[in-house]
Amino acid sequence: MKKLNKISSLVIVILLIITNGCSIKTLPIGEVAEVNYLSGKEGTITMRAIGIGTNQEDAIIDAEKNAFNVIFFRGLPESEQKIALIGTNEIIEKEKNKDYFNKLYKEKRYKTFVMSSIATSDLIKHKGGKKSIAIDVKINLVALRKDLEQNNIIRKFGF
Amino acid sequence: MKKKYLILVILLLQTSLINSVFCQNSATNSGGQVVSVQPKIMVIPYTKEGEDLRTVLENDENKRIAITKIKEGFDSRGFTTVDFVAKLKVAKDNNAFTSDNQTDIKSQIIQMSGADVYVQAEVIVEKGQSGNSVKLILTAYEASTGNSLSNKVGESGKFYTEDFNKLASKAVESCVEDFLNIMQIKFTEIVNNGKSVIVDISFDAGSQYKMSSEIGSDGLPLSDQIEMWMEKNAFKNNYHIQGTTDLKMIFDDVKIPLKDQATGNNYNPNKFALELFKFFKGIGLQSGKDVKGSTIYITIK
Repeated sequence: MKKLNKISSLVIVILLIITNGCSIKTLPIGEVAEVNYLSGKEGTITMRAIGIGTNQEDAIIDAEKNAFNVIFFRGLPESEQKIALIGTNEIIEKEKNKDYFNKLYKEKRYKTFVMSSIATSDLIKHKGGKKSIAIDVKINLVALRKDLEQNNIIRKFGF
Repeated sequence: MKKKYLILVILLLQTSLINSVFCQNSATNSGGQVVSVQPKIMVIPYTKEGEDLRTVLENDENKRIAITKIKEGFDSRGFTTVDFVAKLKVAKDNNAFTSDNQTDIKSQIIQMSGADVYVQAEVIVEKGQSGNSVKLILTAYEASTGNSLSNKVGESGKFYTEDFNKLASKAVESCVEDFLNIMQIKFTEIVNNGKSVIVDISFDAGSQYKMSSEIGSDGLPLSDQIEMWMEKNAFKNNYHIQGTTDLKMIFDDVKIPLKDQATGNNYNPNKFALELFKFFKGIGLQSGKDVKGSTIYITIK
């Protein structure tokens, strides 16, 4: 009987380890910007972005911000915006234009440039209670560039 | 006593006359606002040697579509281009062309249009059993120096279609934004580091001077005096000498600012030529100056 108990508790422990290993994933350390180009046409750009948050809403917002940050400070290979729209030094650029970025992100003004944002994965749980989600986000690139020009974040075309 | 008053009145009149000549007209006074002079950009089709630019464009609708789409790209960035066909028509009406050589005509149009930058578009139609496609080679040059500003190859991809117009459009769409982004990077570089001008210094046939002539208070050779001046006056000390002979000195790339660093007004090659003129006058040399686009010709008499 004692032997049976021991075996059953061992099985439970193994099962717990297996289930934990399957559902909880380790997140990469530091900032992640998993953003990939999907398609682009006539001034729009569609990207698949991964975001992390405590719930689905936070994770979606994070994914959308990641997509914008990549467009602003990295550029997306294969797309029409291969080079960074603003510049590669995001710390300096964000510091220089604090008000603009506060309005854009904290007041969620960036949403006005999002044409669609569709979740393409379920919410995945990670260690430490974090959750991640993949979304396909379509951005109105022409309007975004115009807005950056009008707010003197980037120079207008020409001298 | 009367004489003194008369002299005073004459002096006052002279001062007010000078002021009225150089002060800004109230009708054009912008209250100190300065708008940057934008580069003139013209989109032209690629032509092989001996081909007529206008017939090339008139006979090939794919090229016309490609050029219009490229211009659309500039328009979408809020930038107006110089219309090539309109310029061509004006040039023909004015009998501006002096040669039958088409290559010459191309450079004449560029020169006559006053374009600072020209974009050349080559449209290549490819027909095959696995589908048809259009390739596009886009190149942007600075007209004065020939410096390349942006280069891109666009492809429509292969389709089972005879609609080459659509394919030409697709080829442009595939690369125009990227092409404009690169151009903008180069423009920003020009804003920060100055634009290029060519300075060609030579001597009048009857001149008694040479580049080796020792002149000025310190008796240094003229070519060295010129270089020392250039060193001080080229924007951010950025200049390049193509070559110096006893009769000629050519600076093939001298950077000048887009804005007068003291006043903030627009700066141009003509103003730089005036500074050169003053320099030669300062060392006791008579000179003549000509400015064509971004090339400054100085002739020492």
